Amino acid sequence: MSERVITYLEAVREAMSQEMRKNEDVFILGEDIGVYGGAFGVTRGMIEEFGPERVRNTPISEAAIAGTAVGAALTGMRPILEIQFSDFITIAMDQIVNQAAKIRYMYGGKGKVPMVVRLPGGSGTGAAAQHSQSLEAWTAHIPGLKVVQPSTAYDAKGLLKAAMDDDNPVIFYEHKLLYKTSWEVPEEQYSIPLGVADIKREGKDVTIVATGIMVHKALEAARELEKEGIDVEIVDPRTLVPLDKETIINSVKKTGKLIVVHEAVKRGGFGGEIASVVAESEAFDYLDAPIVRLGGKEVPIPYNPNLEKAAIPQVPDIIQAVKETVRFK
Amino acid sequence: MLKTIKVPPHITEEKLKSLYKEMWLTRYFDEKVDQFFAKGLIHGTTHLCVGQEPSASGSIAALKPEDKITSVHRGHGHCIAKGADVNKMMAELFGRVTGYCKGKGGSMHIADLELGNLGANGIVGGGIPLACGAALTSKMKNLGYVVLCFFGDGASNEGSFHEALNLASIWKLPVVFFCENNQYGMSGSVKEMTNIENIADRAVSYGIPGKVVDGLDVIEILNVTYDAVERARNGEGPTLIEAKTYRWKGHSKSDAKKYRTREEEEEWKSKDGIKRFKELLISEGIFTEEEAKQLQQEAKKEIEDAVIFAQNSPEPSLDTLLEDVYA
Amino acid sequence: MAHEIFMPKLSSTMQVGTLLQWFKNEGDPVEIGEPIFEIMTDKINIEVEAYEEGILLKKYFHADDQVPVNQIIGYIGEPGEVVPDESPGIASDESTDDASKEESSSTEATVEVVDNVTSEGNLENEKVRATPAARRVARENGVNLALVQGRGPNGRVHEQDVLDYLKGNHVKATPLAKKLAQAEGVDLSTVKGTGVGGKVVKDDVVSVLQPATPAVSTDVKPEAKRVKLQGMRKVIADRMVQSKNTAPHVTLTTEVDMSKVKELRASLLPIIEKQTGYRVSFTEIIVKAVGQTLTRHKKVNASLIGDEIVYNEEVNVGLAVAVEDGLLVPVLNNVDKKGLASLTTEAKEISKLAREMKLKPNQMQGSTFTVSNLGMYAIDGFTPVINQPEVAILGVGRIQDKPVVDNGTIVIRPMMTLSLSFDHRAIDGAPAAEFLTELKRVLENPYELLV
Repeated sequence: MSERVITYLEAVREAMSQEMRKNEDVFILGEDIGVYGGAFGVTRGMIEEFGPERVRNTPISEAAIAGTAVGAALTGMRPILEIQFSDFITIAMDQIVNQAAKIRYMYGGKGKVPMVVRLPGGSGTGAAAQHSQSLEAWTAHIPGLKVVQPSTAYDAKGLLKAAMDDDNPVIFYEHKLLYKTSWEVPEEQYSIPLGVADIKREGKDVTIVATGIMVHKALEAARELEKEGIDVEIVDPRTLVPLDKETIINSVKKTGKLIVVHEAVKRGGFGGEIASVVAESEAFDYLDAPIVRLGGKEVPIPYNPNLEKAAIPQVPDIIQAVKETVRFK
Repeated sequence: MLKTIKVPPHITEEKLKSLYKEMWLTRYFDEKVDQFFAKGLIHGTTHLCVGQEPSASGSIAALKPEDKITSVHRGHGHCIAKGADVNKMMAELFGRVTGYCKGKGGSMHIADLELGNLGANGIVGGGIPLACGAALTSKMKNLGYVVLCFFGDGASNEGSFHEALNLASIWKLPVVFFCENNQYGMSGSVKEMTNIENIADRAVSYGIPGKVVDGLDVIEILNVTYDAVERARNGEGPTLIEAKTYRWKGHSKSDAKKYRTREEEEEWKSKDGIKRFKELLISEGIFTEEEAKQLQQEAKKEIEDAVIFAQNSPEPSLDTLLEDVYA
Repeated sequence: MAHEIFMPKLSSTMQVGTLLQWFKNEGDPVEIGEPIFEIMTDKINIEVEAYEEGILLKKYFHADDQVPVNQIIGYIGEPGEVVPDESPGIASDESTDDASKEESSSTEATVEVVDNVTSEGNLENEKVRATPAARRVARENGVNLALVQGRGPNGRVHEQDVLDYLKGNHVKATPLAKKLAQAEGVDLSTVKGTGVGGKVVKDDVVSVLQPATPAVSTDVKPEAKRVKLQGMRKVIADRMVQSKNTAPHVTLTTEVDMSKVKELRASLLPIIEKQTGYRVSFTEIIVKAVGQTLTRHKKVNASLIGDEIVYNEEVNVGLAVAVEDGLLVPVLNNVDKKGLASLTTEAKEISKLAREMKLKPNQMQGSTFTVSNLGMYAIDGFTPVINQPEVAILGVGRIQDKPVVDNGTIVIRPMMTLSLSFDHRAIDGAPAAEFLTELKRVLENPYELLV
């Protein structure tokens, strides 16, 4: 295993580049992904390597480019669609929800739509309400889509490879603040199967199921809690759909306590799904404390930096939730 | 040889005869479906193209077999013109497992990918960007096929229409945008919902050619479409064709047609495109009245057989419910 | 604004002070720093100085009154200012000592033991709050969740509680004992319980904690602890002496078959709990029976005041409540006119107030009869001391299954000894015996209480 450390952003670029070198059918389309290198710099250098046919700079037309991706996928290509901010998925929703997700089923099992939609989401850059959302719960709700949310550079590269190999529409949520984080990432191509969770930290006192950037906050909280003798287990689902229920359930059976934390708004967020899955499973009989969800407040993301931070769970919130949950141990 | 009319090189007399029968196939199909809906024997709703047969058959006749189409919710005519098996179509409307989509798609989602029919679409304007994508594949992989993209006057006001035309024009995608303007969306007349006389005039905004054709004139449609298709095939980019036509029946089965007058309907019906085509072919000496009648009867029989086939087909079993969500 | 004068808390352990004398009368002017009254606490006599200046508007207590700490005992203010007629109670929100609270809850717990031991309701499991994990372990081990003490909010039983229960063979202990054991690191399962049914009480844990053997050096004699007789203790001492010296005490005993009362209680338990939130105990049923019986035996409901026997119209029953190092007797008024639900509520609430030393003076006055219940201990009959100026007091012993003869056969019945002490100056043996006999009859036919 290589000791090379690269950033999440570089890992995403590497995954795409390595695949595009191998497979002519793979191409990327999106806004400003050409010489500009993408709004966050993910595609920097790619148009120079692959040319404008395979790194297609598009007009600001999310509906058209999403639909184009669907049509191309349906006819044999394997497009990667970059939606510049995850919030703009709204304009592409018809093509993703009503077309991509449903074609195979509606056509009775004929045809397939092997496309990846990459979306940078999340708050913390002061981009304010319309450029900071976490809307993964929307896509997780649609049968026919798969939804992935990697938290580290290592996970991002492997999961993106799996997403590109998948013959179905895969919605791939990146986090803006994670782009600059680093991790050990193998140089060669490797695939992390979709639908397999990762235990980021083993523990015995409480299970935290965290997604995206919250994995890192949970890890930080765990380091603090360790000093007080509280041993936290952190499960990173990595894929929301299909969800690795088994790993989560087994963890809760072990610890008897569950806290779910995501940046997305708590109300209607995917945390409710995870909590319910656990409550409906055999882990129920092992619960020794109420299940707790931590999520964003029911507000659009504010502009002011302090307010922006206060709108989503932070490390102290996680610490407090853990302490309250293990109180009756 | 043809006396007065001009047709694209690949159109033979046989083809013209088959076009005549094909249009009757479409008309009988939709009439039959209408009857069954009225009797409550078919589930859901459907959108009939009775009266619009010429624009479907005429335009699709301009295509090569490898060319593809994207269709709309009112797409039975496109489907039949692209060579669909009417048995499978009828079975699909009856929700049977022998239908094109194993009973899981219904009228609005019939597709025959092998024949290049990328599917009818339940979202107005939903198929237009999709057509661009299919055209993109042809271009990127040098496959040489063209995509004929159907939509209606209502769709030309959707955002997706404008985004797609712009995208296709800048990338010079091999797609022909074919608008069947039947004067009405659901109930909104094109006069009140569009600020311009001809939808084809919008082509100017995208720097592509726009052509208005008589939606009931099979030959005109055939020729104009052929030119546009070949233009696209040569890498010159998309064209916007607008066929002025009319649907004889309501938007869907629950339409009382209060938004138009009986006089208007009668006027359009008197211009029946199939009748005109028959008269044209007879005058060209391509067939006789009797042969025409026979072709019409054959079409009728095929539809009746399709009904029997559909009615005798099994329903899908319940465990197919969860199948085919993912590839 | 009138300023409160209150009984000051002069030491961390002080709970009650005795007002020895006032230096001022109502209407006298008072300056800041002037002593206005003298009190006696368990430790010292002290003069209390005024914090405010003005006119002493009101005094609520007088010499020899025992006043709980922080109770308002008077007002200083401008002449003519309106002040309450009665002491409004505690001056500040200062919470009482932890120790007293714990002790009181342990007493409460011991009173409750009578309930738990005698009724192991199946209904209980349905209403017990328990986590799924706790339920699973309970299920797997056949544990009745109602018997498990829960550590969670609202007594929610957690997995560890059930595990502890299984491990410790259900170590029943008072909350105070548990707290102390936990704080001192004592394993409760090793402590011998001297409470009812082997329940571990605080003193049991304390005895475990005390140095094992004093034999560090055989020469040194262990020093005995010395406590001066003062404060509440002195008051109680004085009153006991007074009663015993002036009233010729005769004690009658009888045994009562409590089977029907047990039945009655079992059936009323959920009803009253639903109505009031409190669990009716035997004490309340006995008090009700006493109340009703007293209405037919006015002689026993009398008070001897000076040289007069006062035959009281009201039936107000005092309920002796043990508090830390002492005894208080809060009063339940008009017991004969109250239903069991309201009696239960009142009794529970007033007992709680007593243990928290929050009783108002009027709640400790006006009793016409007293009931002293030692049934939570291994006591059958005893010789209770009359609470003057009343002429009789009923001592209640434990309920114990005994073999008795019924219709020529030996049967097992839950028997309880009642001990009635009476003042022979005011009543004679026969009327006292009549009363006790009828009380026994009422208790053995408790449905009469409905009549």
